Amino acid sequence: MPEIDRREFLKLVGASAGAAAAAGCSEPVEKLIPYVIQPEEITPGIPVYYASTCQECPAGCGLLVKTREGRPIKLEGNPSHPINRGSLCARGQAAIGRTYHPDRYPGPQRRNQAGQLEPVSWDEAIRLLARKVQEAGPGTWLLSGEPGPTAGRWIDRWLTAVGAGGRVVHEPFAPEAVREATSAVFGVASEPLFDLSDTDLVLDFASDFLEIGPSPVEHGRQLAAARDVAAARGRTARLVSVGPRLSMTASNADEWVSARPGSEGLLALAVARAALDAGAGSPEARQALAGLLEHFAPERVAGQTGVDAATIVRLGRAAARARHAVALPPGVSVTARRAKASAAAVLLLNHLLGAVGRSVRIPPAPAEGRRRPSYRETLALVDAMKSSKVKLLLVADANPLYSLPVASGFAAALEKVPFVVSFASAADETSARAHLILPDHTPLESWGDAAPRLGVRSLLQPTVRPLHDTRAFVDTLLDVGRAMGSEVAAKLPPGSFRNLLEEAWADTDWRTALAGGGVFEGASPAPSLPLTPGATRLEVAEPLLEGDGEWVLLPVTSGLLYDGRGANLPWLQEVPDPVTKVAWQSWAEISHATAGRLGVELGDVLAVETPAGRLEVPAFPRGGIRDDVIGVPIGQGHTVGRYASDAEHGRPDAPRGVNVIQVLPAATDEAGGRAWLAARARVQKTGRFQRVAVVQTSQNQRKRRLGEAVSLAALAAGDAHAPAANGHGEAAAETHGDGHEHELLKPYDAAKDSAPDSPYRWGMAIDLDRCTSCNACVVACYVENNVPVVGETRTLQARQMSWLRLERWVGDGDLEGGRKLPIGAKEAPGAVDVRHTPQLCQHCGAAPCEPVCPVLATYHTPEGLNGMIYNRCVGTRYCSNNCPYKVRRFSYFDYSRENWPGLLSLMLNPDVTVRGQGVMEKCTFCVQRIAAARHTATLEGRTIRDGEVTTACAQACPTQAITFGNLKDEKSRVVQASHDPVRSYHALHELNTRPAITYLAKVKRGVFEEEA
Amino acid sequence: MTPPPPPPASVAAMIRPMPAPADSRANRDILAVMGRPTIGYVALLALVVSTVGWALGTFVYQTYVGLGVAGYSHPIFWGVYIVTFVFWVGIAHAGTLISAILYLFRAKWRNAINRSAEAMTVFAVATAGLFPLIHLGRVFKFYWLLPYPNQRALWVNFKSPLLWDVFAISTYATISIVFFYVGLVPDLAIARDRATGWRKVLYSILALGWQGTTKQWKAHNRTVLHLSGLATPLVLSVHSVVSWDFASSIVPGWHATIFAPYFVAGAIFSGFAMVLTVMIPVRRIYGLERYITDYHFENMSRFILLTSLIVGYAYATEYFVAWYSGVEPERTAFWLRAFGSYWISTWIMISCNAFFPQVFWFKRARTHIPTVFVVSVLVNIGMWFERYVIIVGSLSREYNPAVWGQYTPSWVELSILAGSFAWFSMFFLIFLKLFPVIAINEVKELEIHERAHANGGAH
Repeated sequence: MPEIDRREFLKLVGASAGAAAAAGCSEPVEKLIPYVIQPEEITPGIPVYYASTCQECPAGCGLLVKTREGRPIKLEGNPSHPINRGSLCARGQAAIGRTYHPDRYPGPQRRNQAGQLEPVSWDEAIRLLARKVQEAGPGTWLLSGEPGPTAGRWIDRWLTAVGAGGRVVHEPFAPEAVREATSAVFGVASEPLFDLSDTDLVLDFASDFLEIGPSPVEHGRQLAAARDVAAARGRTARLVSVGPRLSMTASNADEWVSARPGSEGLLALAVARAALDAGAGSPEARQALAGLLEHFAPERVAGQTGVDAATIVRLGRAAARARHAVALPPGVSVTARRAKASAAAVLLLNHLLGAVGRSVRIPPAPAEGRRRPSYRETLALVDAMKSSKVKLLLVADANPLYSLPVASGFAAALEKVPFVVSFASAADETSARAHLILPDHTPLESWGDAAPRLGVRSLLQPTVRPLHDTRAFVDTLLDVGRAMGSEVAAKLPPGSFRNLLEEAWADTDWRTALAGGGVFEGASPAPSLPLTPGATRLEVAEPLLEGDGEWVLLPVTSGLLYDGRGANLPWLQEVPDPVTKVAWQSWAEISHATAGRLGVELGDVLAVETPAGRLEVPAFPRGGIRDDVIGVPIGQGHTVGRYASDAEHGRPDAPRGVNVIQVLPAATDEAGGRAWLAARARVQKTGRFQRVAVVQTSQNQRKRRLGEAVSLAALAAGDAHAPAANGHGEAAAETHGDGHEHELLKPYDAAKDSAPDSPYRWGMAIDLDRCTSCNACVVACYVENNVPVVGETRTLQARQMSWLRLERWVGDGDLEGGRKLPIGAKEAPGAVDVRHTPQLCQHCGAAPCEPVCPVLATYHTPEGLNGMIYNRCVGTRYCSNNCPYKVRRFSYFDYSRENWPGLLSLMLNPDVTVRGQGVMEKCTFCVQRIAAARHTATLEGRTIRDGEVTTACAQACPTQAITFGNLKDEKSRVVQASHDPVRSYHALHELNTRPAITYLAKVKRGVFEEEA
Repeated sequence: MTPPPPPPASVAAMIRPMPAPADSRANRDILAVMGRPTIGYVALLALVVSTVGWALGTFVYQTYVGLGVAGYSHPIFWGVYIVTFVFWVGIAHAGTLISAILYLFRAKWRNAINRSAEAMTVFAVATAGLFPLIHLGRVFKFYWLLPYPNQRALWVNFKSPLLWDVFAISTYATISIVFFYVGLVPDLAIARDRATGWRKVLYSILALGWQGTTKQWKAHNRTVLHLSGLATPLVLSVHSVVSWDFASSIVPGWHATIFAPYFVAGAIFSGFAMVLTVMIPVRRIYGLERYITDYHFENMSRFILLTSLIVGYAYATEYFVAWYSGVEPERTAFWLRAFGSYWISTWIMISCNAFFPQVFWFKRARTHIPTVFVVSVLVNIGMWFERYVIIVGSLSREYNPAVWGQYTPSWVELSILAGSFAWFSMFFLIFLKLFPVIAINEVKELEIHERAHANGGAH
């Protein structure tokens, strides 16, 4: 164990003195109390990491939980985990807040006669529940999210032991249609695994795979690998995105095919037909599918899909020509009443293209008995509740009152259940209606396991002692069973869930598995499966939609809020939507044509009416959505939760935004899966106006070259600056003709080094071709650097505090003088040219902010960082005025007082100052990480190695778009990455700011052209 | 018998005590202003003092809660406070110009207005100097802007235009106060001689034992001359330095070499307008028409016309250069100034500063006091908006269109803005009652001069 050395001691003393000084005269002095008995594994000031598993979505990414002095302070990806390989998405980064959330239940509570919740002891609560279970018997039902395999097994045993009715797994976004389709087409009821890393054509049928799943981090990484232009110039994969709107995934595509929502299956078969005509597929596959595809000639399908026949034929030919093409089945928002057939159609296309067994692997169906999410079962349970057959409902890890449509009648059914028990760790809509609340630990406090897919067994372990009086769900169940008498107890195992987990993992080396986060086997080769005899008997047709409205109501999935479970995590609210850049609110996306017809502009409130209900939501007109579609995002409209509800405006019971699920019919697909795309809507202008919190003022970069792109042709020619190559035309040639280009492009110039003795000059390379605008970096930065979340009101005042933001630019932009262009006016079907620019402090070599500071609070360090001394800052804010990138933030208030309410302040990174009121702040290139690495290196008598230190943003990035390192080290990855003769550029280089960040232009692959 | 020829007037003014009726009338008239305050005066003073109190309370609130109570929004980090700072610095220019430059040029008409103009300078600087502090994120650390030796070995950044400001403003404040006071000494002696009670004590101390001896007059005149020499470059330098706060940045709309002369002209423009705005009512209320004549107002109107032309020319040049440079962010910034969301401010600025003062081409307008008053008020409004347009308009439309902003002042800023006018008025009202509003000695000197000329003419 390393000793605490003098330097470290002084640091701690300084930190405590600083904390005391920062507290000022009016606040009590806090004392740093040493451990009486120091835990062996904790050294103050040194983080300890524990491997665990993320529980924010079913993808099952591996975590490394960074703890300091016994508190988890940040979630990082587990580099050895095969799913995420060290990256972590925005939701995973934000999940740290669940543990410290102010909405957590402090302990068990029961509802008294007056309907108020009152604390109750665990013993009493368990006795009460045991009695209730005894009374209810088979009328006891459990409604839960999908538990881990071990927990699931013991829950089932418990249900049998106590004689309960059974359980239902409710996962709103579960890909049931895909599972059913796989069963129908290949005879295996499992979810296919897609591997994009070796593809050269990805046909995405509105799958939203970069936003919500099935495994966004993994697929983002694989897509980036397949598209990597550095690895194999010219052989880069293309992504064609089909869908009713230019979603985040489609914004990253090379071509957007604007198809009617719900017609993806038709389109897939038409593309298959075109590919067949172009000679794709093995003879067997061709023979098997010829009969079916006969009915899906592109010309016939064109009218039904809204995609012209020429495009379909073009895509079919491209698919036929591709080496490894893969098609991704429709995602949640276009899951319609014929979703199973649509998914099956896409699988058949994969079969024809020979992708099955290569990029598409069909794992064996999970062992019998493992319950999978089922919407049909959920609705059946609701029916049972309605008919009063359910006497006792246990709800765990699910929020059905929010996520089930009102039309399903769940709210009314819940009223009929005499006793409802919730195991939620924090308040939500469903637990607010429960009679008894037995709070579970949060995932960071829990034991558990996950089997996200074949060959990946992942463990969860507690990283902090439970902060509240909570108990693990399975332990509570076991205790209830034991309290029911010896007969039941005999059927239950002794010990706690932790013992059961260890037993379940007895086939592995427990300690190694725990340290490594689980047991990961290499991907087993999955054979190419034959089609089932009935595979081609598909009812592929247009979706059946309820209502007679003019617009199709598209429930838009959000990569941040997911199915609504992210809404109570402040960072996921604060970070704007990657497409519209709206934060904290709901909106309705409509096309400019629709807006014109309705006579509305941004912020005019629309009334959206379906047969199931009505909601009012402000309009967001944009280019990238079909004229016949209105898109309302899923995730807002919660009535419970400090951040999820409208508590910010003093109305904790009122919804923040709208819950689009409320106006969806309780529709199912052919196999009983959930149909999200099920209604047509009437849309009317209400005449009211609501200010929309759009964080990015304009997506038109006015040819200022903040986000650049080069065409594939220019890349091949090796000439970025040929006028025709990158579309900059005359202006580009002129700017580049001045002979400064190469000098400016040098990220480091030894001749101009003001600190030649320093071994480091820190720099960054950001590859815009890899950036998907998933926001993982942004949330990672918030958590790492204690960046305050400011809320909706302050967001409307443009007072967001993010040090790193993602800018979305549509094309080069244009120079329409001062005319205000509508948002996304240039978004149109066809070639997509959207650039996502992570904008952060450029750590300029000639920084405009530095000379203007009267007190030298911002200055240049010998290591090339643009330093910021918060303590010295008096707040003239001139630095921000003079920053052309506008990446400096001002702390308008004392955020430390109110912005980490309750225990949230425990997650603050102790290595980073919480900025006081009235000072400027900005990206530091995670200077605390550099300092830590330098400390280690100094102790070992060496310099920092390449890759030893990286910033929180670079670390989180699923696609490795950000590379951080030492520009003075010629061999470092950042120097290698920065030296792209074609793509590298500095933002606003004409201002001669000499940024330390080199951007690599996005590659415009364009649409597939017909071969000459 | 022919009487002996009178000695030359200037000599007479110096060697002879002047008990002539005209002199005592001047003394009486001007000192009458300092008499017992009327109800109206007291009411006005109460109003301005309470406004100052309100603004002070607001400022305390802002300091405690944080600058977020002002309307700042990313990326517009300078707003009403800096606008008002530049505005008052501009106002402060008329005094020194009138006292120093016109003194050196021997423009006799200045004598009637120089005292009040100097007073306004002092009060305007006192007002302006508050704003760089009010706008600080951490006002309680303002002294860090001063280069003083300290244990932490911290020093200031002499490269920063904000530091130049610190020196420019403090120098200007010092010189203006000295100038004002030196000019006041002979009049304080007159006041002393007539005052009773506490006023007697006050004036006795302030008059520094002035006896009106030749030696004292000689020293006085030399001091004024030298101070004029010292102050003259300040007229040009102070506002040049203030303009470099903007010009030395890289913000489109600020980064322009024209800024120094443009700002100096604007400062003189607004300074004269403020003198007119204040002195027209004062003259009317206290019946000082005999001393401050329409001739004075006409001359000041001429100055306003001249500086209006310069300012108008600068506006045109800015737009021309923005277009001619071919730099897109520059062009866009100016286009949006005129036709973007700040168009109202821009057109107020252009019409008030460049168009309305053109009426002064006509003598009838220059000598029609209501017209002069209205135009002077419009110029004040226009010049405030000029700074608003330059500061807020430019910051809101910079290089990165993703973070173009929109700024609206909050009630806190508007309160403090109102407070600044009240603060200035409060000092001026107190000044009216405490010190001679017109430089008695200089008026007398002028009268003697004119009499001598008149006598000479009769010969």
